[in-house]
Amino acid sequence: MERKSSAAKVHIFPWERPAILGILLLFLFLLPWILDNRFYLRLATEILIYGLLAMSLDVLLGYTGLLSFMHAAYMGIGAYTVGLYLRFVDPTASIWILILLGVGATVLIAFPIGWLQVRTGGFAFALLTIAFGMMLYTIVWKARNLTGGDDGLIGLPSPNANLGSLLLASCKDPTSIYFITLAVVVLCFCLTYRIMRSPFGAVLETIRENEERASFIGVHVHRYKLCGWMLACALAGVSGVLFTVMKCSVSPTVMDPGAGGAVLMMALLGGLGTLWGPFIGAAVFIFAQDYISTMTEHWMIFLGLFLIVLVLFIPKGIAGFRESLFPQKPE
Amino acid sequence: MPSDLTFWVQTFINCLGLGSLLLLIAIGLNIIYGINRIVNLAHGSLYALGAYFGYTLVVNGLNFFFALLLAPILVFGIGLILERSIIAPIRERPMLYTLILTYGVSILLDGLTKYLWGVQPRFISTPAFLSQTIHLGSIPYPFYRFFILIVTAAVMVALMLLLGRTKLGMTMRAASNIPEMVSVLGINMNLVHVVVFGLGCFLAGIGGVIAGPLLTVYPMMGSEMLISCFIVLVIGGLGSLKGAVIAALLVGSVQTLGYIFITDYAMVVVYVMMAIILSFMPRGILGEGKFE
Repeated sequence: MERKSSAAKVHIFPWERPAILGILLLFLFLLPWILDNRFYLRLATEILIYGLLAMSLDVLLGYTGLLSFMHAAYMGIGAYTVGLYLRFVDPTASIWILILLGVGATVLIAFPIGWLQVRTGGFAFALLTIAFGMMLYTIVWKARNLTGGDDGLIGLPSPNANLGSLLLASCKDPTSIYFITLAVVVLCFCLTYRIMRSPFGAVLETIRENEERASFIGVHVHRYKLCGWMLACALAGVSGVLFTVMKCSVSPTVMDPGAGGAVLMMALLGGLGTLWGPFIGAAVFIFAQDYISTMTEHWMIFLGLFLIVLVLFIPKGIAGFRESLFPQKPE
Repeated sequence: MPSDLTFWVQTFINCLGLGSLLLLIAIGLNIIYGINRIVNLAHGSLYALGAYFGYTLVVNGLNFFFALLLAPILVFGIGLILERSIIAPIRERPMLYTLILTYGVSILLDGLTKYLWGVQPRFISTPAFLSQTIHLGSIPYPFYRFFILIVTAAVMVALMLLLGRTKLGMTMRAASNIPEMVSVLGINMNLVHVVVFGLGCFLAGIGGVIAGPLLTVYPMMGSEMLISCFIVLVIGGLGSLKGAVIAALLVGSVQTLGYIFITDYAMVVVYVMMAIILSFMPRGILGEGKFE
């Protein structure tokens, strides 16, 4: 239903969407020259990475209707895989290999967990994401010999980005990290956008709207839920790889319960079921966090209050404002 | 190293003690889910709040038993306010929203306890006769753990009487089956929801106060307890009261044994056990939603 109404919507300018996209891409491409402050460029990179993570949660929550409280844990798997590989196996690895490894490890660990989770009901699914997320967090936190425990892995080498024998960039300076992150995030966004507009995406939305009817018309609900879960976890793994490459370090805080809540908050704030909304949510969230945490150490109180206000008053997020600004005429 | 028999008897009673504490928290969560159809993710924070209230009352010179009564009543009051102000307005929305909302409440309450009481661990001191050691034959054992068993047993009996013998209990059981029908019969469902939510919070408060002297009182205690309780609920079957009893004892035992034999990864063993049980019985041991 939603799809039909958005197709029938009359645009104010016929080229509205491509024009906005083009301007946005141009802006993102020119950003390193607009911002000469390196700190803000790092912040922008972080926003892109967390935006990708929040988008992957949107695939799960906004499209499939499954709630994961600890989605950051799967980002953590990607981040730690890369960190451990750089530290113990090959410090000169190329970033493409790292991305493959990170996604591979995330998928490998997420599969059995997802298989178990989709067999239980809606509430139990959400509870199990907390339990398994905490399990991953505990393992990373306690395995001091391997992961460095509380301190994490620090001072990791920066990987290179090669294309054949041509050196595109070395991930040492913030500008090249920004461009690599931008390229990967845009690629992931386009891919996910395409997947969600395919029949597969439509089936996921069917499951979200009514699981029972979906199974009546012959949809293998468990299998599709598992596919949605795997897609979301793979994307989270990519964001984890980018995170390690940007920070040159990993610590357990990337996957603690607070991080899981923060990701949920970004996705909600931006607006579910849009894919682009979570990026805006991540931008607003990271700026707010940066601002508030300089004033008070009790950042969690504000996070909780924001979540409550969001759910009560703006459940559709920032993406929903557009609809209230340009309301569609009822037929 | 004490003799083997001493060790195993003590371990057995430790298992029962942790199991009954888990049961006390989990049963409140379960009643709220069974009737209101809300998984209250703030339950762990309310438990922690109960412990902190108990600590403050005892430190200010109040008798431990008065604190055991007064702190849960305070938590009950907070539960009423939460239910009326933010949970009731979104009852008609999809369950995802209630989960996220109560998650927000939990983060808020955890932040507030950290703000008000700080992060350093606290201890609730108990009257002398509770902290004595008793002897079972030749085996020494702290009396306080028996006290936990007694309190849990008393609460469970009271709960069974409430659900099985009173009009309110009958309404609650009916409401867990067909809420529309109960509402049509002229019973104020809003009132039932408030009472049930408050009752759950009251139980969390009792759990918090009696856990205080046993475990330390610290800000993360709520979320740790909440996760153990989830495991209890999911293993026992969401909303099933009998399932919760069995699962609480099971999880309590595995957790206690885990802490003794493989200290660091004790919770991981619990998660693995949950995974094994759920892969054979995805809806829990006794099935979902059997409110009895």
